[in-house]
Amino acid sequence: MSTTTQTRTAVVARGLTKVYGAGDAAVHALRGVDVDFAAEAFTAIMGPSGSGKSTLMHCLAGLDTVTDGRVGIGDAELTRLNDKQLTLLRRERVGFIFQAFNLLPTLTAEQNIRLPLEIAGRQADQALFDRVIETVGLRDRLGHRPSELSGGQQQRVAVARALISKPQVIFADEPTGNLDSRSGAEVLAFLRRSVRELGQTIVMVTHDPVAAAYADRVIFLRDGLLVSELERPTPQTVLDALMALEA
Amino acid sequence: MLRTTLAGLLAHRLRLLLTSLAIVLGVGFIAGTFVLTDTIDAGFSQSFAADADKVDVVVTPADAEDDGTLPERALAAVRAVRGVRDAQPVLSGDAPLIGRDGKVVGDYPTAGVSIPASRMKITSGRAASAAGEAVLDENTAEAQGYAPGATVAVLDKAGDRHEFRLVGTFDVGLDPDLAYRGAVAFTPETARLVTGAKGFTEIDVLSSGPAPETLRTAVAAAVGSGAKVVTGRERGDELARRNHVDTAFLRTGLLLFAAVALLVAALVIYNTFGILVAQRTREMALLRCIGATRRQVFGSIVLESAVVGLLSSVLGLLTGLGLGAAAVAVLRATGTDVPTGTVSLSPQTIAIGLCTGVVVTVAAALLPARQATRVPPVAALGTQTEEHTFRTGVVRVVFATLFTVAGAGLTAAGVLQNPGQVALLTVMAGGVLVFFAVLVLGPVIVRPLSGLAGWVPARLFGVPGRLAVGNSRRNPRRAATTTVALTVGVTLMTFMSVLTATVRSTVSDQLDRQFPADYILTAQTGGIPRSIADTLRASRDLSAVTEFRGKKAKVNGHDYEVGTVTRAALGTSVKPEASAGTLDGLGAGDVAVADFVAQDLGVKVGDHVTVMSGGRSVPLTVVAVLKAGVSLLPPFTMAEQAFEQRFGRVDDAQILLNAAPGVPAERARAVVDDATAAYPAVKVGSTTEIRGQFDEAIDTVLMVVTGLLALAIVISLLGIANTLSLSVHERTRESALLRALGLTRPQLRGMLSVEALVLGLVGAIVGVVLGVLYGWAATATLTKDVSFRLPVTQILVFIAASGLAGVLAAVLPARRAARASVVGALAAS
Repeated sequence: MSTTTQTRTAVVARGLTKVYGAGDAAVHALRGVDVDFAAEAFTAIMGPSGSGKSTLMHCLAGLDTVTDGRVGIGDAELTRLNDKQLTLLRRERVGFIFQAFNLLPTLTAEQNIRLPLEIAGRQADQALFDRVIETVGLRDRLGHRPSELSGGQQQRVAVARALISKPQVIFADEPTGNLDSRSGAEVLAFLRRSVRELGQTIVMVTHDPVAAAYADRVIFLRDGLLVSELERPTPQTVLDALMALEA
Repeated sequence: MLRTTLAGLLAHRLRLLLTSLAIVLGVGFIAGTFVLTDTIDAGFSQSFAADADKVDVVVTPADAEDDGTLPERALAAVRAVRGVRDAQPVLSGDAPLIGRDGKVVGDYPTAGVSIPASRMKITSGRAASAAGEAVLDENTAEAQGYAPGATVAVLDKAGDRHEFRLVGTFDVGLDPDLAYRGAVAFTPETARLVTGAKGFTEIDVLSSGPAPETLRTAVAAAVGSGAKVVTGRERGDELARRNHVDTAFLRTGLLLFAAVALLVAALVIYNTFGILVAQRTREMALLRCIGATRRQVFGSIVLESAVVGLLSSVLGLLTGLGLGAAAVAVLRATGTDVPTGTVSLSPQTIAIGLCTGVVVTVAAALLPARQATRVPPVAALGTQTEEHTFRTGVVRVVFATLFTVAGAGLTAAGVLQNPGQVALLTVMAGGVLVFFAVLVLGPVIVRPLSGLAGWVPARLFGVPGRLAVGNSRRNPRRAATTTVALTVGVTLMTFMSVLTATVRSTVSDQLDRQFPADYILTAQTGGIPRSIADTLRASRDLSAVTEFRGKKAKVNGHDYEVGTVTRAALGTSVKPEASAGTLDGLGAGDVAVADFVAQDLGVKVGDHVTVMSGGRSVPLTVVAVLKAGVSLLPPFTMAEQAFEQRFGRVDDAQILLNAAPGVPAERARAVVDDATAAYPAVKVGSTTEIRGQFDEAIDTVLMVVTGLLALAIVISLLGIANTLSLSVHERTRESALLRALGLTRPQLRGMLSVEALVLGLVGAIVGVVLGVLYGWAATATLTKDVSFRLPVTQILVFIAASGLAGVLAAVLPARRAARASVVGALAAS
């Protein structure tokens, strides 16, 4: 199952199990997943509805507790951390992009982007800030509030917010789910550029083969288990793999 | 539709709990007031009825109000009536009791009475049956440490001391006069000797057989027109009715505070329903989608409020029963002489409580219900609830301006008027209008104010602090209503504290200015013998002995006291302030008049008044009109020598004196005490004591009012808690996002606490500003020269306490927000 790579590993999961509920009502969302995510790479997680891909992401990001197994981000063992330590880990090492943008309505675009740094009490590296703003093309929108931005612009603010703190890994949950195809393509292009140019590590959950094709590697989940994976995907190869999964 | 509404209510039981608490407390206050006063009323009625049953017929003077009495022969006449088994007189007068310190007891002379044995409630020992025996009321006996067997001394009419053997103690019952002054009871003959009473205040008749009504007619015929004759039962009813007026006064006072509490509750409910409607936009839209009319949506909200109002009113009635019972228990436990009946909810209380609760709740929900009808059906398809944007509308500006201008105008008019009740009422009316202006302007001013109140927290608490301040300004309408509820309570508290502080310092200043004296001598009965002033003046340890004298006389045909003051003291130890003319060189034919008397008689400086004394009329010229204030000077002040010539050698009414410079207070006091030791009726007071008593009285008023306002504050805190928990509910996703971005649980809790702190501070700031402003305006209408005092410490405490209370109100909502799972909250949309 494990892949031999020459590059460093950013995130690692071993025997990851997640059970919701107990007894007869127990739902096994993950049934022992072993997976590595390479640093400075763009990885997509795919699978049919209910395959456990969102749960996997939540557990990898330290948003949800795991039932069994272990998760590591860099040298940190997530499964050994308490809530406070997990929060600090998210603050320092993890970035998020959500389907529903999730910007704070009271803050301007720039304030939203700087929020993670402010929470961590860190100063923004102005050069990085400028570069991120250039990358996502938001220079003239920085003073606007979310309600004054289009969906695509809001998601670009969210991408910038994830990039600004230079996290060890960014988790993106269906980042293009709420966008039209053009805005979606733009956002995905930014994500890929941030991997290429900024050396960012990105793990993205999606059910869209076209979105997955932007990644360096796609892993496929079914019924809580890792079933296959694909290097250097194209929309067609992803679609084929998905068909094979359904079969 | 009905079923949908009720199902919705059931599903959101918890959500409505906080809302209903506001109404429960408000209605509870009202019901509690009625329960308490009803219980006291019932207690009085029962006691009066029990008293009345002991006597068949009561004879009282026809003009009881005018201190009239029944003559001796009335008793003989009554006794001669057929069917009278026994007739006993009631006598009443002054019999100053001498306490253990050798001075007369209390501020007013103890009453000397004789009460028929049938009506006297002996609590220990027995009633007086011989000339040398006396019975003391139990409260005075306890306070002075006298028990049956002891020897007590009282002063008779002439001021001579008489000793009696105490044979028992008694309960004065419901007579407020005897309860206040204390009473010594004797046999009728002794009472007459001691008090010098010329007649009877009452004759109690017992029947040997005839019905009370029959006997009443016979007795009435016997005593003639100078007396009023009623049966015992009628007398009891009359006393109960008179007492009912007192409880009605207490009831009105308490209901005023209940009204404030209900106003605050209405604001809280208005806000809660407003938020609930906003949050249920999709639900409303869905109802409209599937065919509900606007009227039905409106009706469903109104119905919901009616159900909430009804349920909470019922709970409020029970709370009121509890509150009333608690108040009654406190009354009993503290041993006050207020009789109490059985605690119960009368049908009237139930009706009033339910109506008030339901009407207030429904009325407060009307505007939000109208808002709900404006939700378009298409909103059901939208995914996100719109963030409320607030724009200052023209209507709001117009109304705010109108209210502000009218309110400020009235206030200014009141302040500029001559001090008096009219001025005060004008200012208060202006205050109400300005409050409306604040209510209307709330959403406009809450933004800058929360910026101001949040300035420090935003810098102190980092990101959570800044986010919190942002959140507090985010929905100005909601924030304004939430804080205004708190403003009501804080305004009234600040108002009271400014008022009391100013009255305190004004009175103290006037005392200092007009009577720079250390000690004041007064006589409880009669006058202070002139020899005392002579003795005091001879002492080297004392200085500035000032005598005040006075005598009743007819001035321009009206009864007034005409008096004088030690000549040398004028301008030195007594500095009366003249509003016209001057006291300098007050000559033999001159007189100074107090301002209120000058107004009554319509005289001014230069006019002549005629004083009748001893059958001779004396013309005097008015040379000064004096500000009365706390002046000890009589309405008409003459020169000392001229007064002596006209009225003779009159005893002193009061003596003011100072310790000589460098003399320790204890030594001066000892000299004064020595000089007055032989005169039990002459009491020595120090200005510090007087001031202390005054301060105590003011503190008590402030404490009671603060306690009664506390409920309004508690309700407004419920409002803050309610608004916050609903906001937390609205912002579940946002909180989850912040947690995902690395905000720790304590930081999230801190964020909500800071938001509550800012809301509390904003409410307090507005309240303090209004309270100080109107406290100042109100004091300006009291008297001409007010020494305005800002109780800075108290006000700072109010502000700090409001902020703290806000934080307290945020504890539960914050816990709930922090406990929510990040993943769950993010998933829920």
